Amino acid sequence: MLLDVSNLTVCYDRAMLINDVSLYVEEGEMVSLVGPNGAGKSTLLRAITGLVAWDKMTLKGTAEGDITLKGNIVFDGKDISKTPAHEIVRRGLVHCPERRRPFKEMTVRENLMSGAYLHMKKWDVQQELEKVFKLFPVLGDRLNQVSGTLSGGEQQMLAVGRALMSRPKLLLIDEPSTGLAPLMRKEVFNKILEIKNLGITIMLVEQEVASVFSMASRSYVLSSGKIIAQGKCSELLEDEMIRRTYLGL
Amino acid sequence: MIVDILIDGLIKGSVYALLAIGFSLVLGVARIVNIAHTALYMTSAYLIYVGTKMMGLPTIVSMVAAVFLTILLGLLIYNYFIRPIQEHEAAMLISTIAVAMMLQEVFLMIFGGHYLGVNPLVRGYLTVLGVRVTNQHLLALGLAIIVLISTRFFLMKTRTGLAIRATAQDREVANLMGMNVNGVAMITMAVSVGLASIAGAIVVPLVTVEPTMWMHPLVMMLAIVVLGGLGSLEGSFVGAYILGFSESLVVFMVPMGSFLKDSVALSIMILVLLIRPEGLFGVSFEEER
Repeated sequence: MLLDVSNLTVCYDRAMLINDVSLYVEEGEMVSLVGPNGAGKSTLLRAITGLVAWDKMTLKGTAEGDITLKGNIVFDGKDISKTPAHEIVRRGLVHCPERRRPFKEMTVRENLMSGAYLHMKKWDVQQELEKVFKLFPVLGDRLNQVSGTLSGGEQQMLAVGRALMSRPKLLLIDEPSTGLAPLMRKEVFNKILEIKNLGITIMLVEQEVASVFSMASRSYVLSSGKIIAQGKCSELLEDEMIRRTYLGL
Repeated sequence: MIVDILIDGLIKGSVYALLAIGFSLVLGVARIVNIAHTALYMTSAYLIYVGTKMMGLPTIVSMVAAVFLTILLGLLIYNYFIRPIQEHEAAMLISTIAVAMMLQEVFLMIFGGHYLGVNPLVRGYLTVLGVRVTNQHLLALGLAIIVLISTRFFLMKTRTGLAIRATAQDREVANLMGMNVNGVAMITMAVSVGLASIAGAIVVPLVTVEPTMWMHPLVMMLAIVVLGGLGSLEGSFVGAYILGFSESLVVFMVPMGSFLKDSVALSIMILVLLIRPEGLFGVSFEEER
């Protein structure tokens, strides 16, 4: 098992955002996490990659600082529930955040370089860049453009490209299709499939259930902070209750 | 007269740029409004006075020592007076004001309110277009420009510079890139205080050293940072020269009017803000989460 999360609970103040969640990801597979708005999908990813713990540390003593974080997270055989966010990246667990969030005032090149921040000394960054350009030729064309001026789809590709520069073993992608035109969505999903075929394990958080279920092997359905269904995508689609209530199909 | 204004404005602008860029850096990276910034500039000046006049060290040696000691002091202040309350903005602001006042009182107690001076590093003068300019002024100008260029190089071309800029734009995503945000904040604080203390070392032979010498630069620096646009380093740079030149214009052109220099600077700031509320190079702070 590459990622094994057990009994994870997250409370911000008295609101329980994640309620006793357990999930796992096997090496090489693509798992999806779906659920309605506000189900806690992003919070779950943030808890796994250490951002909730970081919130807890930095906001200590302020009005928003009352955060509870419980549970075990094991990645690649090691417990990472106490590991700070910037160390978790080094292990190969990379989080491509919601709303893409490129460094808007930096050029495309600088954004990609910041993805390779940990590895600049050891690895040939140029070679990594070439790999990303092969996947996303548009980034190669826009290398010196300030990333805030890119289109939404290009920014999404930049965000994924930047995450790839960190050399992920497991890539968590948070809502890559939000706010994109249908054609662009399709392209983004195709790219994610290509990344999976490169041998990178992927956990994909999405609202666009139909496209995701055609790509992922297994899926978790999250609602109000709880996992209410899990299993092969084809099986989930057969369950009438889940289909109608949570997947909107 | 024009050459006087030009040289004086360039020096003032460069020194203000050093101060304002350092201030903007910690503001951007760690969201710290460090009112004690110019008090550290004063600390550096006092340390150089102690080194040269009281301990008899060569000027260069005491300048380098002063810069390092001031950085050390700045990091201690950051660690004990700022970091514990970093997310509590009002408390942090008050804390840095307290630190500045504390430094002022400490220097007043030790040295009294006397006007002290430090010998120039170089003597003699050059004649530029018929105007005598002391070598010390030219040296100050040269040093300031070299430091500004190196700072730009550091920020744009090095790995640490990349981390500083990334953290300034989005702390959380910087975390996800594997950047140790707290470590980056610490380094930024060191760079910022370093720039302030270098500014102090550059001007110390040209100004009088006294316990309230941090006030005027503080007012100018805040005006510059707001004028240029909060969080924008280019804005700080350009704003510094605008207000630097305006200050020397007032001092040289208005007879007996040098007391007006603050009000002119602040008026320029207000005028610009009336037309462009976000400042010259204003970038609106992005929502973080």
